[in-house]
Amino acid sequence: MIDSLCDQALDGSIAVAGLYCDSLAQKEQTINNIIGAILKQLVGLGDIPHDVRKVFQMDRRFGGRGRRLGDSMRMLRTAIASLPQVFICIDALDECLPRYLRDLLECLKDIVRESPNTRIFLTGRPTIRGDFQRYFAGVVVIPISPNMEDIRNYLDMRLDMDEEQDEAMDNDLRADIVRTIIDKMSDV
Amino acid sequence: MAETTNTLSFNNDNLNAHHGNIISCSFDEDAQILRWLSPLEPNNRHQSVRTDRFAGVGDWLLETSEFREWRGSEGGADKAVLFCPGNPGAGKTYIR
Repeated sequence: MIDSLCDQALDGSIAVAGLYCDSLAQKEQTINNIIGAILKQLVGLGDIPHDVRKVFQMDRRFGGRGRRLGDSMRMLRTAIASLPQVFICIDALDECLPRYLRDLLECLKDIVRESPNTRIFLTGRPTIRGDFQRYFAGVVVIPISPNMEDIRNYLDMRLDMDEEQDEAMDNDLRADIVRTIIDKMSDV
Repeated sequence: MAETTNTLSFNNDNLNAHHGNIISCSFDEDAQILRWLSPLEPNNRHQSVRTDRFAGVGDWLLETSEFREWRGSEGGADKAVLFCPGNPGAGKTYIR
């Protein structure tokens, strides 16, 4: 998704920030670090904006205790306002700790309300769908299920590679492998 | 973390005082600011997803009218959010 949007971003008319949530890195994925990571991608392309540098220097002066979420959100709003259009993509939201997920949805809701040039793309397990509809009444939903055509194409490519190396491979075995995997995938 | 940051800023001041190398300091500060904004490095993960991705996967989604409407920003703030739910292994991460 990020790359599709980036292809269209080459002319500089849009900016794209992406993030992958990971249940193995939950300790680092605080709401402030998540908002910071989005901001980092938006400001990292050009010169660091003056307001960001100022908050950083103030934080330094007071011993580097870290900034407040309000500071991060204010800097993010300013960064978004300086760009024509911004896309924020966050993958696997369900892997975010529940207490951060609520904060994150709250922050995203604020961003959408205050920065109409923002589009947000999110993925996650269907279990968090209810949370979404509470926060975003007009959310567009496109369910993802394994696409059999994609899987068949991928298997064909891998089996072609295998056939060159493995003498045991023949058409019967090939068909068997494809059928078994497709069957299994239908349950996902 | 606080300790490391302090040491860095001390070195920075030293550089400033002794060499007056302001250009390299400002680069140095830029890198510090980016780290301070977030220790998360989403670009690293993105590179590995991109390497593992198989061409054409998820193209169907880009063709849907829901996607186009969201992408085209004509829906207004109400349609600003696109959510793709899917079970683990369905391929959500690998949509191009």
